[in-house]
Amino acid sequence: MLTLTDTGLVEPASQSLSTARPAVQLDGVTKRFGNATALHEAWLKIVPGEFMTLLGPSGCGKTTLLNLIAGFLDADGGEIFIDGTLVTETPAHQREIGIVFQNYALFPHMTVANNIAYGLKTRGIEAGEIRRRVEEALALVKLTGFDDRKPRQLSGGQQQRVALARALVIRPKVLLLDEPFSALDKNLRASMQLELKEIQQRLGVTTIFVTHDQAEALSMSERIAVMSAGRIHQIAGPQDVYRRPQDRFVASFIGDASVLSGRLVAVTETAAQVAVGPLTVEVPGAPLAGLAAGADVDLFVRPEHLVLVDQDATGPALNGIVKNQVFQGGHVDLYLELADHAAEPVLLRSSGAHSSSKFRSGDIVHVRPASMDLIAFPKQDG
Amino acid sequence: MTQRPFLGWLVSPAVLLALGLAAAMAAILQYSVRAYVPGSLDVGGLTFENFTTLLRPFYLWAFWNTILLCLMTATFTLILAYPVAYALVRVNNKALKSFILIASITPLFLGEVVRTYSWMIVLGNNGFINSVLMSLGIIDSPLQMMFTTSGVVAALVHVTMPIMVIMLTAGLSHIDRNYEKAAESLGAGPIRCFMTVTLPLSMPGVVAGFSTAFAWTFSAFATPQLIGGGKVNTVSTLVYQLGFASFNFPFAASLSFAGLVMTFAVLALMKRAMRPIERLGEQ
Repeated sequence: MLTLTDTGLVEPASQSLSTARPAVQLDGVTKRFGNATALHEAWLKIVPGEFMTLLGPSGCGKTTLLNLIAGFLDADGGEIFIDGTLVTETPAHQREIGIVFQNYALFPHMTVANNIAYGLKTRGIEAGEIRRRVEEALALVKLTGFDDRKPRQLSGGQQQRVALARALVIRPKVLLLDEPFSALDKNLRASMQLELKEIQQRLGVTTIFVTHDQAEALSMSERIAVMSAGRIHQIAGPQDVYRRPQDRFVASFIGDASVLSGRLVAVTETAAQVAVGPLTVEVPGAPLAGLAAGADVDLFVRPEHLVLVDQDATGPALNGIVKNQVFQGGHVDLYLELADHAAEPVLLRSSGAHSSSKFRSGDIVHVRPASMDLIAFPKQDG
Repeated sequence: MTQRPFLGWLVSPAVLLALGLAAAMAAILQYSVRAYVPGSLDVGGLTFENFTTLLRPFYLWAFWNTILLCLMTATFTLILAYPVAYALVRVNNKALKSFILIASITPLFLGEVVRTYSWMIVLGNNGFINSVLMSLGIIDSPLQMMFTTSGVVAALVHVTMPIMVIMLTAGLSHIDRNYEKAAESLGAGPIRCFMTVTLPLSMPGVVAGFSTAFAWTFSAFATPQLIGGGKVNTVSTLVYQLGFASFNFPFAASLSFAGLVMTFAVLALMKRAMRPIERLGEQ
């Protein structure tokens, strides 16, 4: 099993953070709407060429943050830098940012070519050069020959390609993507994700991607800023937000997690031991710092962290009752009731190797958490 | 096919109304081809003389005058109503929005006559504008605004404002705010953004508002009658004079019939001429 430092995902990023000038930097940016604070002091540094995702449920402030970077909203506090320049007071049309909107917002009264040329015309670029760059952009998104179509004559996927071409053709300092895949059907979405990622890497354009879809965030991003209720909870690589969540919110929002009730046995700066029934597991010490031994803690386990063990196997295990079994194709989801250890049914994901018809509701099974990535947080009040 | 059990019940009042209007139109058409018997309210035999009389320069001039008046009114109304409608759609402050809405729509409920009388108070020789200008010493003798085309146009613009604001607001509110955001992000300043995105996309509303204002003004009677005071002849004031001063009902009928045909003709022409403009905003 890989550990945090083996993954190599954190180190290079933090190194370049300290050396390169950030493409986007937010210093304590705050935004209020009336009495409601939509964004609390956001601090963020995005490395040139990075693919950074703002992930969170709706209303978490991610779109507010995007609008602040684009210049569509004015910050109530803090400073925004793009490419090392202070832009907090700069109007949107002078920020040199490319945006792909959720509904694409292609100008309906212009042809595809004129849509893409729009940002070049505002820059006063000479006609021949515009034509050349529009063709180049169309080729980039594989829409050569679509110049004279109107947006309404294009499919959803094609409209999105045009929107991407229109945003990229101006060679923006930052590319902002506002939930660009939510209007596409599932199959198209997957192929567009791959294609976008490929184009982004080829051009090396700094990209900020807003989404509420964690699968999208985990598969596409170099780093993810997990947001909730106007705050950034954690900024880290996809593996780290999944395996080393900063707090309860991140642990429960990213991926599936079941909560087991445990008791703190011992805690040091680096590690802690947590007892769940007859078992004792090791978890990172930081989230539990300051708790006394014997305190109640919540152990977060991923569905793939739990393994089924035979009754006569050596070592302690937890007894569970099968509540429900859901066949998912490649794997089977088992919902287990762990009498004294969990308030809610616990999810166990077993690969297809286990026969799908092996369990029935009411069967008694034995499980054991088997992972280096277990994590525990102080028990929540209430 | 969808079953609509109440269709008959719902449509019948409209059919009744349409029949009533058609009957009235038929009566006017019938009057217009009758001979005028001076000194009598009865009409004589069939004749097309009324329509040949319409070709006299005086009446042709009145038609031309009316069309010009309508075009002027519609144009000025459009210019004044557009910013109001734009503000109504884009202003975020609820109180300000309500104020604009109330201020621009309330005149609609006052009725044309009341609004026209208030304009007479404003435009008269001892009216608001003249007394202010004279007390400030800017002018020595009152400006003639009553009984002039400009006075009539000013009052008509006020009369048509609410309807134009409503139609432009409808057109503007259909424009996704993201189009403007996209233009801004691509480097367009506020003026360029308006000229290349907002204005073309609002063209269907502009064309609808302009045509409505034109037709609305063509049929206006109280305003040109009271403010024009017989010095500004439009088709509707002439119809009134012929019908109720000279009691020449057949000729008045032919004039109104010609006016109606003219309105349709001009609107059809306008629709055609404005098609390319409307197309600018095709979504």
